[in-house]
Amino acid sequence: MTIPAASTRGVSKHFGATRALNHVDFEVLPGELHALVGENGAGKSTLVRILSGVHRPDAGEVIVDGQLSAFDGPRDAIAAGIITIPQELRLVPALSIAENLTLGDPPLRRFLGVTVIDRARMRQDTQTQLAELEFVPDPDTRITRLSFAERQLVAIAKALRRRCRVLILDEPTAALESREINRLFAVLARMKSQGTAIIYVSHRLDEVVFVADRCTVLRDGRVAAVRERGAFDAADLVEAMTGRAMAEIDAEPLTPGAVVLEDVTDRPDAVRLHANEVIGLAGLLGSGAGSVLRRIFGIGDEKIAMRRSGAVRRIASPGTAVRLGIGFVPDERRLGLVQNLSVRDNILLPSLDLLARGGRLDRAKGDRLVGELMELLDIRPRQPRMRATLLSGGNQQKVIIAKWLARQVGVLLLDEPTQGIDVAAKAQIHALIRDFAKRGGAVLVRSSDLDELAHICDGILALHQGRIIDRLKRSEGLSEKRLQTAIGG
Amino acid sequence: MPPSLQRLNLIGQAPLITLLVLCLGTALLTNRFLSPLNLTNILVQSSIMAVIAIGMTFVIIGGGFDLSVGSTVAFAGCIAAMTMVKFGLAAGVLAGIGAGIVIGVINGVIITKVGVNPFIATLGTMVLVRGVVYLMTGGAPTGDDRLPAAFIAFGTARLFGIHYLVWVPAVLLIALSWVLRATPYGRRVYATGGNREAAYLSGVPVERIIASTYVWCGGLAGVAGVMLAARLQSGQPTAGEFYELTAIAAVILGGASLHGGEGTLYKSIIGVFIMVVLGNSLNLLNVDSYWQRVAIGGVIIAAAATDRLRYRQ
Repeated sequence: MTIPAASTRGVSKHFGATRALNHVDFEVLPGELHALVGENGAGKSTLVRILSGVHRPDAGEVIVDGQLSAFDGPRDAIAAGIITIPQELRLVPALSIAENLTLGDPPLRRFLGVTVIDRARMRQDTQTQLAELEFVPDPDTRITRLSFAERQLVAIAKALRRRCRVLILDEPTAALESREINRLFAVLARMKSQGTAIIYVSHRLDEVVFVADRCTVLRDGRVAAVRERGAFDAADLVEAMTGRAMAEIDAEPLTPGAVVLEDVTDRPDAVRLHANEVIGLAGLLGSGAGSVLRRIFGIGDEKIAMRRSGAVRRIASPGTAVRLGIGFVPDERRLGLVQNLSVRDNILLPSLDLLARGGRLDRAKGDRLVGELMELLDIRPRQPRMRATLLSGGNQQKVIIAKWLARQVGVLLLDEPTQGIDVAAKAQIHALIRDFAKRGGAVLVRSSDLDELAHICDGILALHQGRIIDRLKRSEGLSEKRLQTAIGG
Repeated sequence: MPPSLQRLNLIGQAPLITLLVLCLGTALLTNRFLSPLNLTNILVQSSIMAVIAIGMTFVIIGGGFDLSVGSTVAFAGCIAAMTMVKFGLAAGVLAGIGAGIVIGVINGVIITKVGVNPFIATLGTMVLVRGVVYLMTGGAPTGDDRLPAAFIAFGTARLFGIHYLVWVPAVLLIALSWVLRATPYGRRVYATGGNREAAYLSGVPVERIIASTYVWCGGLAGVAGVMLAARLQSGQPTAGEFYELTAIAAVILGGASLHGGEGTLYKSIIGVFIMVVLGNSLNLLNVDSYWQRVAIGGVIIAAAATDRLRYRQ
């Protein structure tokens, strides 16, 4: 029998009164890709942090290569060959690829009796190592000039410089497009064949089904299921994660109402939004889908005029857009929330001017509004005074949407609204978007999750290099495959 | 209440507890501390710094930093004294406060429109304004015995047994706390300081909000300059040196975060009291003035350390 590269036996962890992990057994074999899935708060991150030495378990054992291990910090885990690639890559943006790659252990040489960095060898090492990942950049390129996918490869190459027995990837594909995902999978396959064990944390269940040799599902800090490849599909995982079958989203076709927002100039990416309609923007990275949203919200490079309910207005700043009844949910949650303000203050932030009476805020009215919205969007816990940063990712995203519902905007712009959010919250957000449109709202949503777009949109614009190259309608049938072809991915 | 919440609240009240412990300790060590004369002294000494600290709290909540307040105090005091001699009391007071507002507007524009880092921008105005004050006065005190009697009285007289100088921060504290807590503007200041990008994307005019905090700070430094001129019975070009550092330290002692988005006016004023009472008690206990500096520096670092502890939770 193969000895697991790393495993936990009966691991438990408490944070105050919260039990994050409850007697969890987990193992990953050499050459195995073991996926770890679960809703937000199910304990995935805690388990990963215990394996990588950030947290110490309250009870239970961590075993590496058959040896009982007690990590005193991330350093010990790294020394034991357990390397984590977090979602936010820890690279130094101002340094070059080669400098980042060799940051911990630069190649040295003696020069006039002084130890200096051997730059030539540093560059050469970098090139060899990245070539193994089929990535051949100039090693002197600064990290700031790389795409996210390229940075990720640098981070992986950096991990491979050390003795890497177990590689832990946290949501590695969240910011990647399909071509880049395929490249990453190829890299992972090669590492597996060399005997590296891989722990793969992801919300993207389709990917997990595709790539994982085995999958452990966590629910409320316990192991809810362990499945072998071929013995599960995405629906099984959802059921194990939530304890109930996946709810079908109500996407009954809506009849578009009047035009509420449209471009006035004839441009290759001109949009026209109707009431009661959800329009999707699909495109690969750099397709210009994101800049359509930014331009409409007044944060693009060019400030353009748009016709909003008949009147032509130049949208020079988000302030103007908000006054015109346009709301924007950015792709990063840190841009949507003021972390140290309460849930209540965040929800009311765009509506402060509407709540002012005689120079002061109408506190009672604000509290009532926040109470209603937290109920409607099922934001948990129902504590309006809690700091926004203490909420789970899905609930934070609901707070950001609640901001615009509080303002009663007519147009909602959404950028990757369900990125990094668990299945249950994702379904709730999809339902909210449909409901918003049903009540007369217009929605423009960008997502790299094409399946999501196919699910919730009435029409989809496919973009390429800043131009709309295809228009797809629900009546003609939407599917992930059709979208894939349309955007050329 | 779960134990974690209790601990958090206790840390939130750390400034007040520190102040009470400090007062209690000093009162036990010397009976002169609680004498009416000494308490009045503490109040009057705190009053001018309190006004500056209120302005500084606006800037720090908004995520900024203002080093120019000390120079502004001297500038406003000298302008007030010079104007008063020629055009009378009211004109002098308004000119002094106006001078402070002008500095605030300049800081605000340099920081938001030009985009200079607040530390550098206000370091620049700090040095520049001090230079202007010396140019204007020739380095000598101005006004002196030609100041109106009513102005001198403002610096020494009392209303309902309390110095006029103490009434000023008391009234400002109540009014401006209300502004920060209960008006849309106040909530926007917190949001802008807490996360400028997110506030901007919520439609908040962040540049105007940030600039406005410097205008408050400059204007209140102007008020403090006028108060100081009344107390010193002249406009002193050297006045207000190191006030900026004391004010910033007091605001941080009061629990505001240099990251922005956090802070309350009354706690900043408690921070001022901690600084003043500490100096006062070390004086009463006849501690060497060199040691006093060491002690005050230590207190500032301790305050910053508790701030970190709170964040780690």
